[in-house]
Amino acid sequence: MKPAIRTEGLSKRYGSTLALDGLDLSVGEGEVYGYLGPNGSGKTTTIRLLLGLHRPSGGRAELFGVDAWTDPVAAHRRVAYVAGEPFLWPALTSAETFEFLTRLHGGTDVSYREQLVQRFQLDTSKKIRALSKGSRQKVQLIAALATRAELLLLDEPTSGLDPLMEVAFRDCIEEAKGRGQTVFLSSHILSEVEALCDRVGILREGKLVDEGTLQELRHLAVQTVEVTFVGQVPELPPLAGVHVQSAGPNALRFEVSGSVGPLIAALAEHPVMTLSSREPSLEEIFLHHYDGSDGRAER
Amino acid sequence: MALTAVPSDNGAVAAPSRTGSSTGVGLGPARALARRAFRDARIRTISFGFLFAAIAYIQPVGYRDAYPTLSSRLAFAHSFADNKAIRLFYGVPHNLLTVSGYTAWRVGGTLAIFAAVFGLLAAVRALRTEEDTGRMELVLAGSVGRGTAYLSAMAAIAAGVLILGLAEFAGLVLAGLPAGGSAELALATASVVPVFVGVGAVASQLASTRRMALELGGAAVGLFLALRVIADTSASAGWLRWATPLGWAEEVRPFTGADPIVLALPAAATVLLLMLASRIAAGRDIGTGVLPARESAEPHLGLLSSPTLQALRSERGSLIVWLSSIGAFAYITGVIAKSTSTAGISKSLRHEVAKLGTGSIVTPTGYLAFVFIFFILAVSLFVCAQIAAARHEEADERLETLLSLPVSRRGWLGGRLVLAVGGAGAISLTAGLLTWAGAKSGGVSISLAGMLEAGLNCLPVALMFLGIAALAYAIVPRASAGLSYGLVTVAFLWDLFGSLLSLPKWLVEATPFAHVGLVPAQPFRAGATVIMLAIAAISALAAVWLFERRDLTGP
Repeated sequence: MKPAIRTEGLSKRYGSTLALDGLDLSVGEGEVYGYLGPNGSGKTTTIRLLLGLHRPSGGRAELFGVDAWTDPVAAHRRVAYVAGEPFLWPALTSAETFEFLTRLHGGTDVSYREQLVQRFQLDTSKKIRALSKGSRQKVQLIAALATRAELLLLDEPTSGLDPLMEVAFRDCIEEAKGRGQTVFLSSHILSEVEALCDRVGILREGKLVDEGTLQELRHLAVQTVEVTFVGQVPELPPLAGVHVQSAGPNALRFEVSGSVGPLIAALAEHPVMTLSSREPSLEEIFLHHYDGSDGRAER
Repeated sequence: MALTAVPSDNGAVAAPSRTGSSTGVGLGPARALARRAFRDARIRTISFGFLFAAIAYIQPVGYRDAYPTLSSRLAFAHSFADNKAIRLFYGVPHNLLTVSGYTAWRVGGTLAIFAAVFGLLAAVRALRTEEDTGRMELVLAGSVGRGTAYLSAMAAIAAGVLILGLAEFAGLVLAGLPAGGSAELALATASVVPVFVGVGAVASQLASTRRMALELGGAAVGLFLALRVIADTSASAGWLRWATPLGWAEEVRPFTGADPIVLALPAAATVLLLMLASRIAAGRDIGTGVLPARESAEPHLGLLSSPTLQALRSERGSLIVWLSSIGAFAYITGVIAKSTSTAGISKSLRHEVAKLGTGSIVTPTGYLAFVFIFFILAVSLFVCAQIAAARHEEADERLETLLSLPVSRRGWLGGRLVLAVGGAGAISLTAGLLTWAGAKSGGVSISLAGMLEAGLNCLPVALMFLGIAALAYAIVPRASAGLSYGLVTVAFLWDLFGSLLSLPKWLVEATPFAHVGLVPAQPFRAGATVIMLAIAAISALAAVWLFERRDLTGP
């Protein structure tokens, strides 16, 4: 089976800036993939290349085995896209916009669309120009979800949505996942990605710096271990990959990269009262990759 | 005129303010805003400035060259003094025996119309577009009040008016006209701008979108032009000249017994209009207009089944404006065609008239054929507007939404081109048909087939410009609108003035307008038509090929 998304050494250069640098990506059918990175790290560039809107400077991108640049129309029949900014026609109402987008895409499930309109509480008689940014985002989102396309390409789809609508959005993605649709979710809202995605890729300055399931990422990232001792805090030998901080009069906090084995062995010789260990949140993993560097430079 | 063919402004990128340190004084932000507005408008201001200087210089030089003697001027004046058809374009001449009298008539009459368009565009750009895009909200959220923002915008436009006036004055003086009279003429022309800035300012308060404001203001320009045309062409309605700002500019009568007191009229009108606009602005919500914008509507599901039909849906309003204004103009032209006559005009003089870029206008047929030069210009500007609309769709990133669907680039651009060709065809045929109908009702016998042929004869040049505009769009999307409008304008003026300046033949013929057979007075030129259509087809194909191979380009 062909993967839903596959890129090989995909690069894009704008003038002197390398926006995307040799991206190798593979997203299987039915997978929900979280694409993380701060502003300007190349997320939107990746999506534009996946849609064949911009021409790759190097490498190639395929959707379901179809080249995104040379045969975009065939590729798009199986894809629905939600842009980070809702770019729609101001003079059309939402209902007219749905009609237009449906005619162009085909394959829309109209009764599901009605259901989504209810769920997202959208007034379809209003013209796009009279809608707030969040409501315009809903129009895009409903139109894309209602196509039941095999692949949903979502570029920061919840920007502008209120928390209630974000919940509705998550429900919809869970449903899509249940139906076997593939979802490519580009985002910097980490809780959203943590809740929805099977696999996560982290992008930094146009390069994929980490990729895997949340379990795998956690395994590689820093774990936090907090220990309280009976009486005074003992002297511990320096351990590779372990960063020690004071966490109270007789407590220490350890940030451990890799295995916690050597730390446990060292602690065994001392009077430990409590020991708690916490898995890193996605936020901590994410920040770990950006620690001490300016990853936020605009492209 | 082509009021809806508005070159899009560029230069919307914010420039760093250098007056940040003096914000406490209060004049700092105002100055920064005015400077920003002036920079935004610089391309339009410079283009109009060149146009004003060029027309002001070329007309007197050409006249002196073509009619060196008093007797030739007498003959010219005799044939023109009562020619209503000519007055339609240039107003009433007061003294054609001197170069300055001729200049006051030709330069003043033409530039007054350009001045009106400039004023309208400047005001709508500075007021309504700023609100439409939300930038005004950003400015008013800072330490700037509404009054300051309004005055800064007006100050920037005033600087633009000064430049236009100086450009015209410089052109006239360089052409050897006396400084005093040149100043009067430049002042008379420039006085038209503020009045239409006022019109544009009021339209910007009434309308809630840029497009609606331009339509309202454009209607006002059209109305005042129509009043001037009626006043100048009918003997009993001369008083109507006092009812239109374009007529006031004529009544200043520079060079021929100037009456500067008339300038009090535009001054008073400007103050009244600007005060009215500022009054309305002070009392309404930012981002809205006085006229209600419809916020909701029953769904109309027609014209939504393809990107091309949807483009037709969004362009149909402006297409109707084009068709009706060209149609009305064509009809009036036809009606007054009869007043042109050959009585008492020698053959050699007719040749001389042709040299002025006005063709053999002394017979009704010749005159009607001559008018089609202007229709060719209008249709060419229309196709540029169509490509500009396509570019607008891309700059606003709606094209990204479209092309993320199963829509091909070839299909999208091809559909846009087909739409432009269809619109151009409709406008051309309307021009032919209504000119014929007007001529018929005015009592000139002329064949319908001949006038329809004259209408269709607009297409080769226009389609060639369409192909070139599409090519510019494919290669340099951001600059394409300015390039294509500019090219059409230069090609047109080239034809009008090239022969006047006695340039070498090959240079005069460098413009496509020189290769049109003015049907029905001249024979249709098949050879030139085939070449122009071939250029059109090749450029359009190349445009599609190149567009398929480039990145989509944002604003």
